[in-house]
Formats: sequence, structure tokens, C-alpha cells
Amino acid sequence: MRSERPALAVEGLEGGYADSAVLRGVTLEVRPAEIFAILGKNGMGKTTLLKTMMGLLAARSGRVEVLGADVSRWAPYRITRLGVSYVPQEKSIFQDLSVEENLRLALRDLSEFTARLEAVARWFPILKSRRGQRAGTLSGGEQKMLLIGRALLTRPSLVLIDEISEGLQPAVITKLREVLTEERRARGLAIVLVEQNVDFAFALAQRYAVLKVGTVVETGRTADVGARERIERHLVL
Amino acid sequence: MFTTQLLDVVTTAGVLYIVALGLLIVYGVLKIINLAHGAFLAVGAYAGVVTTGLGWNPWTALLVAFVIGVAGAALVEWRVLRGLYARPMDTILATWGLNIIVVQLITLYFGREIRFAESAIGRAVNIGGATYSEYRLVLLLLAVVLGVGVWLVMQRTQIGIVARAVIMNEELAQALGINTRLVRFVTFGLGAGLAALAGALLTPLVSVHPNLGVPWLINAFMLVLVAGVSLLNLALAALVLGGAQVLVSSYGNPVLGSLTIVILAVIILRFRTITI
Repeated sequence: MRSERPALAVEGLEGGYADSAVLRGVTLEVRPAEIFAILGKNGMGKTTLLKTMMGLLAARSGRVEVLGADVSRWAPYRITRLGVSYVPQEKSIFQDLSVEENLRLALRDLSEFTARLEAVARWFPILKSRRGQRAGTLSGGEQKMLLIGRALLTRPSLVLIDEISEGLQPAVITKLREVLTEERRARGLAIVLVEQNVDFAFALAQRYAVLKVGTVVETGRTADVGARERIERHLVL
Repeated sequence: MFTTQLLDVVTTAGVLYIVALGLLIVYGVLKIINLAHGAFLAVGAYAGVVTTGLGWNPWTALLVAFVIGVAGAALVEWRVLRGLYARPMDTILATWGLNIIVVQLITLYFGREIRFAESAIGRAVNIGGATYSEYRLVLLLLAVVLGVGVWLVMQRTQIGIVARAVIMNEELAQALGINTRLVRFVTFGLGAGLAALAGALLTPLVSVHPNLGVPWLINAFMLVLVAGVSLLNLALAALVLGGAQVLVSSYGNPVLGSLTIVILAVIILRFRTITI
């Protein structure tokens, strides 16, 4: 199994904003069909890491490999075309576009849109029933469904998700957990989950890394004895 | 008298709308004010002068102007602007510098003398007892067609959805796999092509000289600042401010009339608290 190429491999990644260095040599690997959680407190570089992996921020040094391709200097649109979906944390739907327009933006071949929408609507029926509604008028939970639906519409091999559970009601969290688990099981989808919600991350992920001041300070399996206690200690200190 | 003035107001608004449309599109998607817009307009006007001078059908000037505008803009976007988007102030300086270069090149080739172009339609029509230029009415119709056409493209096509997405949140659009570099390239080309098209359309109405584009750029710039990135607001701004320009020119004096749009735009911007 380990001979398979990783879904994502990051090696010595450094990056940040202008004069501020945020990532300080991040190294991690995500296997195919694995859910991998990146945990850490606010301001530790989790979102910066995702943006740098996606090419939205330029890496200062290091290497990012996605599905076997070295994408370290690639533009974001080329990375997505490898089969990567990115679900950003904030303001990540187009509020003034309709639900359908938000979904259509993810696809290049629109001839498949109806079939893809049907598939995603099996998880989230509102995406079909309210396709004409302005996305900004959806509730917070419905907007998160739109985000995940849009990410899955392209049938990606790797999804990067930034704090999807934040501010959501338990029922919606349960639904998202069910969808992501099943997509991984049925299609072999690899997922990188940036989270502060340890319960949500542990319910989904097989492995984890803890990011602290731009560095991975711990990695392991979520099933390991004592893993949760060690993580919570990192999140408190 | 009243009918003529009413027609002057709406046709002037139409002309202003055509001139400002390309500037608004570039501003909306690229978030820059293209100060070379006036230069592209002048290039379009000279395309009109040259094509009609060659004895070609005056309508061919529109196609020639549009193609030259798009090609020139593609070169400028590729070689100059692409590296400057992260520095908005530098894009303003670069496009203004480009404006100066283009004006000087036109002066070198054509000289400073005023030129005129043949009108595609020289007839006048009778409307409500007033005899009025058919060409100006065609321009009004064209402004409506362009406005509705651009609106339909923006609202009903995938290209429009992509453009609106880039206007709303470019980073998010990139994250969804949209090639925003290509969107910028096409948009700048389209905006400059529309400026050149406007220049060719204006030639039968105005005297053509190398600095022709500057006053039109200033008025278009003011209209876009007032309108934001809304096509409807641009139409309203062109109608209200352009209408005021016509009335001040008619009842006051033409010099004051030429300043009307700028003065009103400054007043609106000074007292406006939210975008119209």
C-alpha cells in the first residue's frame, strides 16, 4: 500500500505574507483515500499552509507534490485541474451568485453539469431544489453544504478543507461527516482537514499533524493511545 | 426645441455610455482604471479617418478599430500590465504613460492638424417636428444594444458568471480553478477594443486630433467612479450627468458645459456615503 504515490506530499515548505514568515519548513504526507487532519490554534499557519499548497500564496522554499506532480510553482487553476478541490474558510461562496452559478463555476465541461448536480443533490437536496436562490441568502449550514457540494461536483481525488465545522449545528456537522466518510470509502477520496474542532477531526481522520508557529510539532494516528490528550495539550499551550 | 434637446440628452448619454463601457468592464474585473482608455479611443478615431480616407465603407472602420484596439491591448496586457496588478498605483502610472506614448506616436505619424471622417449616415430624420441626425439616433440604439448585450453575457453565460466571480472575489475564483490571468487578458482586450470602437463611432461627430481621447477619458472616468461596476448605474449616470452637460451647454455656455460632468461627479462622490 505504501508504494502508492501520495495524494499530497509537502517537504520543507516555507512561506507567508510579505515580510512575515508563517510556515517554517512544513513536511507532511497524505496517502490516497486517507483523511488527514491538520490541527492547531488560531494563527499557527494552518490556512497559510493550505493556501501555499494550492498556489494561492507563493512558497519561499520547499516542495509541494500533488497526485504525483510537483506543483510548487504552479498557478492555482492548474493544480485544481489535477483533481484537487479547495474549500476555503471564510467568504468562500459568491454571495451574489445563485446556488447553481456557484456550482457551475467549479466545472469546465458543463455538459456534465446536470448529472453531477444529481449526484451531489443525493447528499444535499437543497442544492437542486434551491438552485435559483441567491447563495448569500442560504443559512450558514446550507452555505457549508454548498461549499462541500461544489468541491465534490468535480469528482476530485484530493480535497483541502479549511475549518468547515466552525459555527455549525451538530446535525449539519453529522451530515458533513457522513458525506466525507462515504466519499472517501466509495471513491477513494483523500481529504486534508484543517480543524480546531478535535471531535470532528477525530471522527473522520486516520492520521493527524499538529501545527504550531508554522512548524509540524507532532504527527500520528488518531487511533493511537493518548493522541487526543497530546493534541489537546498543544491546543491549550 | 424641446424635442431636439430631449434627443440631445438621450443621444449624448448613449455616446457617453459607449465610451465609458470598456473602462467600466476593465475597472470591474481588473480593479484598475485604464488611463490609456483615451489613447485607444484616439486610435479608433484615426482608424475611422484612415478607412474612410481610403474610400472604404465607413462601417468597416468599426471592425478595423475594434481589432486594432484588441490587438494593441493584448500586447500591453502581456508585456506591461501583467507584472503590475499587485501594484495598482503603478498600473495607473503605466497606463497614463502609455497614453502619452500613443498620443505622441499618432502626432508623429498624422501630425497635429484636425481631421474629419465621413459619416456612415449623413441623413436627418423628422421626430416630433424636430429634424434630427439619424447617425446620433443609431448611436443611441447601439448603446442600448451594447448595454443589453454585455448584460446578457454577464448574466446568462458561463463567461459572464466567471467574470462576475472574478469581480466579486478573485482569490476564490482562482481556488475554483478559474484561470484569472486569462480572464484579465481577455477583459483588458475587450475593454480597449470597446474604447477603439467608441473612437471610430465618434469620428463623424467630432474633430479628430491626437489628444481627442483625453476629455472623453476624464468624463468616462468620472462616470465609472459614480457608477461603480453596475451597467445600469452607468446608464443612469450617463443620462443624468450627460443630460446636465447638454443643458448647461445650451442654456449656460459650452465651456462650463464641458466641465459639468466632472463637477457633478465630484459633488456626488463628496456627499455619497454608499455606492449607488
